[in-house]
Amino acid sequence: MKKHTYACLLIALLSLPPQAMAFDLGGALKDAVEKNAGDLIGNKNPDEASTPQAKTENNPLADINWKSPTQAEEIKLGREITGNLLGAAPLVKNAALQQYVNRVGRWVASQSERPDLPWHFGVIESEDINAFAAPGGYVLLTRGLYQRLQNEAQLAGVLGHEIAHVVQKHQLKVLQKQQLLSLGAGLLSGKVAKGNQTIEKVIGSGAEISARSLDKSAEYEADRMGLILAARAGYDPYGLAEVLSGLEDISPSDGSIALLFKTHPAPEERLTALGAATANSNNLTGGKTLENRLLRLP
Amino acid sequence: MRYSLTAMLAAALLASTLAQADSGTALKNDTLRKEPYNDAKTSGKLVRGEKVDILGKQGAWLNIKTKSASGWVRLLSVKRATGTGNQAAGVLSVASGRAGTGQVVATTGVRGLTEDELKQAQFSESEIQLMESYSVSAADSTKFAKAGGLKVIKLGYLPKPVATQGDNP
Repeated sequence: MKKHTYACLLIALLSLPPQAMAFDLGGALKDAVEKNAGDLIGNKNPDEASTPQAKTENNPLADINWKSPTQAEEIKLGREITGNLLGAAPLVKNAALQQYVNRVGRWVASQSERPDLPWHFGVIESEDINAFAAPGGYVLLTRGLYQRLQNEAQLAGVLGHEIAHVVQKHQLKVLQKQQLLSLGAGLLSGKVAKGNQTIEKVIGSGAEISARSLDKSAEYEADRMGLILAARAGYDPYGLAEVLSGLEDISPSDGSIALLFKTHPAPEERLTALGAATANSNNLTGGKTLENRLLRLP
Repeated sequence: MRYSLTAMLAAALLASTLAQADSGTALKNDTLRKEPYNDAKTSGKLVRGEKVDILGKQGAWLNIKTKSASGWVRLLSVKRATGTGNQAAGVLSVASGRAGTGQVVATTGVRGLTEDELKQAQFSESEIQLMESYSVSAADSTKFAKAGGLKVIKLGYLPKPVATQGDNP
């Protein structure tokens, strides 16, 4: 038994990329998608910043007011990002499943502070274990994650985490910051500090640091809010914790979670944080798990 | 890179020794139960701050042993000792089968979505329209919730926990 454990450890370690230390249920596809969105918006080429008229023609997102985007602009942005993700991994072609997930998701979202967004939920064709939210109320989870769920309360917990990202505009804020900073950096490097690398460096690393710390605290916040949203909706509050707990048992070298482990906190850290957050809550009891209503895939 | 691998191996040996008798601290007062269910018979009490041994895990329940009793509690009631408390501890504890379960699930052989695939993905108007076509109204979801016996309860969000020394963020 002990020998076996060591063998597993060694195998796991040898195949573990050194940077692959973090985990997230919510936003692991986020980095890739943000880059994607950056390309969409058209800031790939710094020269384009000086010719805004040129990109307006072929880019529907170019005229977004980044300082304070309207809800319509937020939805438009989320739609573009989600459409791109669906281009990589299409919806599972199972209408009953998609409708079921929308009913649960919409019910949980109705308990949030943004009940009137046009919420859309979907399960995508991927064996990865992941879930994903885009601005304006677009939420996706993978078939790989869905198939691990044991009851409806767990689904509600996972969707609650994603809904919290949308409610708090976590992703939108990151995108705004990136846009405004790249605009500011363009101005500075062009006018004020041409050739002054020190200033450019400060802007570069400062942006990176703030984006990172926002990221991690945003995930913990979405966990805390997701748990409460599911509980408000009448579900057993521990669904999200159960899912995270199940993910602890997957080998970190497994391809299905490689992308998640790359950028976010480990499930164990998230569970510890949730435990600390609920330490003074004695009212988190009851609620339904609805094991029998979970729509199981063939 | 080589240095970090060596460091991780060293930490791994430490982690696997810990896994023999995993320990933790009670985050709150709670009831110990004979089985991992809300309505199972009680088998004792958990007192905030006391040290416990973790024997196993099932779903969101931990099988623990205190000085005076043993039984199951909700996983969020116990803060598990993570050794160094850094990110490596999280991953290593996964590899070693956290909480004494010894379960390291065999790899699934799934290759997974890569960042490159995502970056190169093309916007799909037909898929996004399909997704939007499945949306339901708030009224529809309320009917669905009623059918399942779900009742809305009033709850405020959880405050951000105040980090104490040695705590994870």
